[in-house]
Amino acid sequence: MSNNIIEIKNLVKKFGRFTAVNSISFGIREGEILGFLGPNGAGKTTTIKMIMGLINITEGEIIVDGMDIVTHRKKIKDKLGYMSQKFSLYPKLNARENVEFFAGISGLSRDKVNNKIAELKEIIHPDIIEKSVENLPPGIKQKVALFASLIPDPEILLLDEPTSGVDPKMRRNFWQDIYELKKIGKTILVTTHNIDEVEYADRIVILHRGNIIVEGEPANLVREYDVDSVETLFKEAVKKNERD
Amino acid sequence: MKGIKPITRKELHHILRDPKSLIIIFMMPVFMVFIYGYAISFDLNNINIGIVDNSGSDLSAKLVGKFLNNKYFTLVGPQINEDRSIEAYERRLKSGEIDEIMIIPHDFSKKIKNRIPVDIGFVIDGSDSNTANIIYQYNEMILFSFIGEFQNIEDILQIKTKIYFNPELKSTYFFIPGIIAVLLLMVSALLTSLSISREKETGSIDLIFISPIKSYEIIIGKTIAYIFVAFAVESIILLLARFWFGIPIEGNLIVLFAFSLIYIFTGLSLGIVISIAAPDQKTSMLGTLLITILPSIMLSGFIFPITSLGEVLRWTSNIIPATYFLKIIRSVVLKGASISDFLVDGLILTLMSIVLIFIAVKKFSKLRKIAG
Amino acid sequence: MKIIYLLKKEFLEIFKQKELLFMMIIAPIFQLIILGYVVTTDIKNIPVGIIDLSTGKSTTRIINRITGSDLFDVKYISGVNRDTVKELKKGAVKSIILFRDPVKTGAKIKKYPEVQILMDGVDSNSSRIAAGYFNGIIKNFILDDLEVLGISPLVKGKPLIRFNPELRSINYMGPGIVALLLTTITLFITSISIVREKEQQTIDTLLISRLRPYEIYIGKALPMGIVGVIDMALGVLVAVVWFDIPVRGSLLVLLISSVIYLMAILSYGMLISIFSTSQQQSLFFSWFSLLTFILLSGLFTPVENIPVGLRWLVSINPLSYLIRIIREIFLKGNGIEQFYGDLLSLIMLTILISLISIFNFKKFISK
Repeated sequence: MSNNIIEIKNLVKKFGRFTAVNSISFGIREGEILGFLGPNGAGKTTTIKMIMGLINITEGEIIVDGMDIVTHRKKIKDKLGYMSQKFSLYPKLNARENVEFFAGISGLSRDKVNNKIAELKEIIHPDIIEKSVENLPPGIKQKVALFASLIPDPEILLLDEPTSGVDPKMRRNFWQDIYELKKIGKTILVTTHNIDEVEYADRIVILHRGNIIVEGEPANLVREYDVDSVETLFKEAVKKNERD
Repeated sequence: MKGIKPITRKELHHILRDPKSLIIIFMMPVFMVFIYGYAISFDLNNINIGIVDNSGSDLSAKLVGKFLNNKYFTLVGPQINEDRSIEAYERRLKSGEIDEIMIIPHDFSKKIKNRIPVDIGFVIDGSDSNTANIIYQYNEMILFSFIGEFQNIEDILQIKTKIYFNPELKSTYFFIPGIIAVLLLMVSALLTSLSISREKETGSIDLIFISPIKSYEIIIGKTIAYIFVAFAVESIILLLARFWFGIPIEGNLIVLFAFSLIYIFTGLSLGIVISIAAPDQKTSMLGTLLITILPSIMLSGFIFPITSLGEVLRWTSNIIPATYFLKIIRSVVLKGASISDFLVDGLILTLMSIVLIFIAVKKFSKLRKIAG
Repeated sequence: MKIIYLLKKEFLEIFKQKELLFMMIIAPIFQLIILGYVVTTDIKNIPVGIIDLSTGKSTTRIINRITGSDLFDVKYISGVNRDTVKELKKGAVKSIILFRDPVKTGAKIKKYPEVQILMDGVDSNSSRIAAGYFNGIIKNFILDDLEVLGISPLVKGKPLIRFNPELRSINYMGPGIVALLLTTITLFITSISIVREKEQQTIDTLLISRLRPYEIYIGKALPMGIVGVIDMALGVLVAVVWFDIPVRGSLLVLLISSVIYLMAILSYGMLISIFSTSQQQSLFFSWFSLLTFILLSGLFTPVENIPVGLRWLVSINPLSYLIRIIREIFLKGNGIEQFYGDLLSLIMLTILISLISIFNFKKFISK
């Protein structure tokens, strides 16, 4: 357990009478890709926001790299990179301006900001770099957003539904990028409701109605539950949880 | 026509399930009525006057007394040790402490006794020209009655004024029925405009597009649902007007509601036209508020009489629905007028509704074609 | 300087949204001009009917005075009596003037007709003004007539109008409308600034960035403040150049007061933005607040007419202070020594609103 870079214990989040996250516990190991699965409204985004310290915890604790989120919010923030469902880019600005902004507010010096823009030019075609982000295809937006979330050079990347609305080809490209990041030692938490993507993850956690219903390595799980794929496992687990 | 019913039912369900919006829709008009009822009044009730009496005679004291006995004037005199010079009064005028200075010349009494005309100086704060005009008129009125005691001018010509419908000239009588016209248009346009743009944003409009329901059925179905809400808003304001503010309702309520129905239809169809043109809920809401409230307040006769406006603005007032309904509601509520007195206004509103519904259906069908 | 990048982004967003730019710069000018004409409407062209049942010669001369004035629009002159109440109900005329021969009192027959004015009192303000006009016209007629006979009134009022000698209502309303527009634009735009980031989900990125809360707050508010100052300058320019309104006081004091006021409005807009969950909601609240601010500011109707029980609403309304200050500066050329009370109250109010806003922003950031 000591190599868990994020440790979540009995985490609860209530919004009024509604319990969004119902006492979940799991860990994320340093350098792994953890797939965080669940249908819409399962509590994935809420959990991620609690890890980032953007919303308060109702009960339980979150320890990141040995530090409690409640007491060390600022230090933890510096270790995290985040990319949200809508790619968190400013739709009216172009890719270069977005990157310049994110680099700037990360506290980079003017030279380093310029370096980042130069790097961006290597991955984005110069024809579209000056186009408003709102007019770019989702695949490119996703690329820019990932690039932007990596600017502060975070140890841990939290990706919330990074592949929603992206076509299958771009999705594969995206996962290749994720593997590259894993190779250089980043820890990555990816939420998704596309079950076919879990094969890419080292481990998966399936969340449903605020509860963890399955946890483990995809291949082991398929064997353990004696199902033909993770997809079947997911469907059956969700069905079972709905019955209970 | 059988497509209308399900649409109406769906809209009503939607309204009832969203109590937050419903509360806003009812609370805002009530709030506005109270503000207009209590806070807004053009009546000039008090004029602070400073008096420099250089004559100091019995006659001048009599004149001063005439001013101070008038309910509109309040003497703001200098305290015992304060400066009584004209300069000091001018400073008070500048700081807004007083609204006018009356200066009685030193030879006032002597001249009057010798039947020599004498001038009384008045220094008036002209910042607000309306107030200044009224102050001037009051001055003249009092002076005239003062002269009457020496010269027989006053009762040579007697003017008798009789005021109908609002004999005490209360602003609330003017504003409260008027605000119904402004709010009713706003509320009804807002209701439909949000309803369509919301469906556009959530994408549920596509489901309606591919359904076999005809465009006009959708439009009419939505409109009918919101007529109930608009009527409820109108009834609440009328109840407040009658029982809280004590405004007598002279005319026939059934007639009023019949004409309101036409007016509400105008508002609802206007909302649909706006929402079809607007890309999202935000734009549609802002557009509706701007198009309905500002012209209804400024150019419909709600505050400023249309006849006094410049030519261009007067012409513009003809295309504002509130112009017509204002006349109708004030005629019915305050004057107890009969249908023939405002039939033309009702007909114009009907025509406007028909044109707007027609545009709405046309635009909606076009949108549907593009989507399909 | 991370905040520089935030400021740059905010300005880029403004400049890239043409409709926003239009709304901030062009629209206010148009509004100012149109409103300038509407709200300075002096009551004139009052539709009147005249019924003349008198036989004296002087009636014709009085009627000529009425038809000759642009205060009245005479719809008809009738020699026979009419159903006056019915006509007033119909609404084609707002007043009917009835001339009759005076009742004979003893042997002495008066030279002038008896005048009866029947008015539709629905529009209380216009009616009161119209009554004043009638009295004025008829009184002046008599005085002129007597003057010919060598009789002049013993006492005459000699008015001297200060600050606005030509009694132009635009001089009074214009500066107020500038304040109104300044409020409208900045409140609307500020109130959507944070909520827009919420909708785009970019707010989370901002919050986990290394930007400090005060940097985010300033980065959001400052650009709107600059826009506000530009709008103010444009508004004053239009007031002076287009409407020819004199500025008698110090523009610097006006600028300082406006900046203080802007801080209050920006804080209030931020507050709306923090509590709203959608742009639509925040626009709605801004609209609602704006109407209340305007109605309780003394812009259109005198604050003195607001019942004492509701005056506190005026004292917590920042716009009421700005309107007073701006009028003092424009019309009276007053300096701070004349309105330091208002300015001080405005400053306190601004501090209070800012504190509430900042406190809630901090709470919002660390919820």
